[in-house]
Amino acid sequence: MIEACGLTVAAGGRELLRGVSLSVRPGEVVAVIGPNGAGKSTLLRSLAGELRAPAGMVRFAGQPITALRPAELARRRAVVSQAVELAFPMRADEVVRLGRLPWYGTAEAARDAEAVENGLERAGVLHLRDRAYATLSGGERQRVQLARALAQIEGATRPAAILLDEPTASLDAAHRVAMLRGLRGLAADGLAILIILHDLNEAGYVADRVGVLGQGRLVALGPPAEVLRAGTMRQIFGVAFREAPGGGLLPDFPCRTR
Amino acid sequence: MIGRRAIGPLAAGLGLARGARAQGLPSRIVSVGGALTETVFALGEGARVFAVDSTSRFPAACAALPQVGYMRALPTEGIMGMNPDLLLLSGDAGPPEVVQVLRAARLPIAQVADGAGADAAPDKARAVAAVLGRDGEALARALAGDWARLDAPLAALGSRPRVLFVLSLARGAPLVSGRGTHAHAMIEAAGGTNPVRDFVGYRPLSAEAAAMLAPDAILMMDHALAEAGGAATALMVPALAVTPAARAGRILAFDGAFLFNFGPRAAHARLALARALHPGLALPDLPGRPWTAA
Amino acid sequence: MDGGLIPPRAATTPAAPRLARTVLAGCLLLVVALLAGVLLGPARVTPAGLAATLAEALGWAPLPAQHASNAAILGVVRAPRVLLAAMLGAGLAVAGAVMQGLFRNPLADPGLIGVSAGAALAAVGAIVLGPALFGSRAGGLGLWLLPMAAFAGGLGATVVIARLATRGGVTGVSTLLLAGVAVNALCGALTGLLVFMADDRQVRDITFWMLGSLAGARWVHLPVAATLVLLPALAMLALARPLNALTLGEREAFHLGLRVESTKRLAVALAAVAVSAGVALAGMIGFVGLVVPHLVRLMLGADHRLLLPGSALLGASLMVLADLAARSLAAPAELPVGVVTALIGAPFFLWLLRNRVAAS
Repeated sequence: MIEACGLTVAAGGRELLRGVSLSVRPGEVVAVIGPNGAGKSTLLRSLAGELRAPAGMVRFAGQPITALRPAELARRRAVVSQAVELAFPMRADEVVRLGRLPWYGTAEAARDAEAVENGLERAGVLHLRDRAYATLSGGERQRVQLARALAQIEGATRPAAILLDEPTASLDAAHRVAMLRGLRGLAADGLAILIILHDLNEAGYVADRVGVLGQGRLVALGPPAEVLRAGTMRQIFGVAFREAPGGGLLPDFPCRTR
Repeated sequence: MIGRRAIGPLAAGLGLARGARAQGLPSRIVSVGGALTETVFALGEGARVFAVDSTSRFPAACAALPQVGYMRALPTEGIMGMNPDLLLLSGDAGPPEVVQVLRAARLPIAQVADGAGADAAPDKARAVAAVLGRDGEALARALAGDWARLDAPLAALGSRPRVLFVLSLARGAPLVSGRGTHAHAMIEAAGGTNPVRDFVGYRPLSAEAAAMLAPDAILMMDHALAEAGGAATALMVPALAVTPAARAGRILAFDGAFLFNFGPRAAHARLALARALHPGLALPDLPGRPWTAA
Repeated sequence: MDGGLIPPRAATTPAAPRLARTVLAGCLLLVVALLAGVLLGPARVTPAGLAATLAEALGWAPLPAQHASNAAILGVVRAPRVLLAAMLGAGLAVAGAVMQGLFRNPLADPGLIGVSAGAALAAVGAIVLGPALFGSRAGGLGLWLLPMAAFAGGLGATVVIARLATRGGVTGVSTLLLAGVAVNALCGALTGLLVFMADDRQVRDITFWMLGSLAGARWVHLPVAATLVLLPALAMLALARPLNALTLGEREAFHLGLRVESTKRLAVALAAVAVSAGVALAGMIGFVGLVVPHLVRLMLGADHRLLLPGSALLGASLMVLADLAARSLAAPAELPVGVVTALIGAPFFLWLLRNRVAAS
């Protein structure tokens, strides 16, 4: 679906990504983890078609992503960024409706209202539809943005892709689980999903494959059980991890002693 | 100078000449420009003036007339609404776009140049009289004669005092007159000399430049001097304090409309300024004229 | 997911009927304003005079002589003036709404991209240097010298600012703002220099020009305004969807398939043309571009599909009424229309600001 090949991205004389090759297949969730500044967001922006890579390339459904018309790409690829703020006050459902902009002028535009409805429902925010976006909590906003992204790709020629930048960051535990479960459901429907996460356990829970970025390089890529090892993580993050008894990986905080 | 071409046919075309306007002459005049308004009154036709601008303050009868505002910011509809049968405009009335609209509305407009100098007042008298359908020759000759009576004594002057005209002190640096202004013309006509030769129009003057100019007298309009806080305060402004005029305390104040209009009272204004500039000089009195009385 | 706690209800009102209602209401308001603008004012127009003027305009009957003055007031003075006011009001308001959407800032107005300062510099230059450069008749350009200069100045300043803010085909909005501040300051300084050089009479002309006026409106101006103000304003209506996308942010707008850079260029170019031409024809008229979009947003929400046409119609109506007030309040003298719009606009804007503070 989305395929990065030898991707190198530089900004301000600094290489943000070096030779990253990564693909997300339809029906698959790929989680990207890594320390702050490792290049996770840069990778997401490149895969979204936002950044032009001086070396390597990104393919979307087999074509170079830069060759696709922006609206055409937008109908098959949605992005949920971190903390989106509105310039002007809007209701939640109006925000979701913005997801339908790429469909303007197509036959699918007749289904806008339905797509908005479905998006709100699948993201679990139907009850927020009439609320002013500005009055929503960070987590609620994040879910409204997911609804917007779902409305955006509804009606797309399958497969379609959705890219999420730390979507769980401001969610409480219950909503984290709900969102990740929801994403698994979307993947089961054939969507290709790339998700940036900080929590290794969340990555282990949601991802079919986990990619680990360190200093702009993809240092590991594979099934969670292979990648999420205490030793590997220690090398990448520079702190000790311990494997929890029931599976999962926790940073090893030393107990405070007086 | 005058839109003579426009007046005749249009007046006829708009059917202005009828009823009380038995002679076919304009009788509902909006007069814009102090000198022109004074000239209309001097011609004895003041009763035909319906409204005036804010620069028309003489004779006193003007105060009772409707106002159309400042002459360079004329209102289109305010004037149209008065339904004038003649709009008498000083040459520098404006804005030009508004005059254009008024012309397009086929309002009868006569524009008379606002000149300065010996011939200015007689020229205006003739031009205004022509527009009003009167003979202005008598007035023009009287004005020219009055003006000429001062020519010989003033020409015989040995020395001419340097007179700096200060328009305003409100901008900080004094705004003084260069060449090409009515003030310049009147100073030169009254036996003084304007020390400012470098520029045309009004400019702010620095203290250094003022000291170099070394004026013997400062001339101001009375209301500008009052705004500046009176003679003593005005002469403390640095650019004026450095002048010989300040040391001698010579600051002269006149009504601006009287001194610089170059209307019917131009000769009297010349005499008044000349007497102020040359206290010892014997200058002939001018005959009493009806148009000098408010 | 945690499912809908509230059962789904019928889809929200589709935009199309709301748009139709908005446009209808706006048109009604505009018609009322236009009628008021033509029929009211310090010069009295009698019903008979109006009838005679209409009859003549429609070719039914020749104009009786006693209605000549009414006909002139209606046909020569008010009609072109009111129509020019409407076009300028629409252009300024839509340009304001587009700038606010583009900069994602409710305080933005076309002044940010240098239009006003550049036009002012060039207009003041024409007033002060025109006679020296072209003689008193301004070389046959006459009354068109100042508008042409102002138009060129407004566009020129915008081009300079846009160039300064563009690197590698990408126009940074915050750089655009900063470049705008710098170019505005430079234009302001140069204008100050020209004012210093101006004589007393020119200073007064400059002052009155700066305050804005529609007093010079003539029929010949209308085709110019239709081409350079109304047409760009109508073209800007097509920016509604792109501006909606930009509400989410530039990156999100790109994700939604928007060609962000070309949208920015188009928006800046159209707004610059419309506002430069408006300033050229009527001087500086403030607050319309700032306040009208706010007012419409309060009534109709932030959807640009409603906001832009709503702003156009409300801007047109308010400008016609502001000009009516300018003609009437100090009659027979005339207030500068920019003074009227600022007198109404500024307190209203402060009220908005207080409400925002209270709401947040």
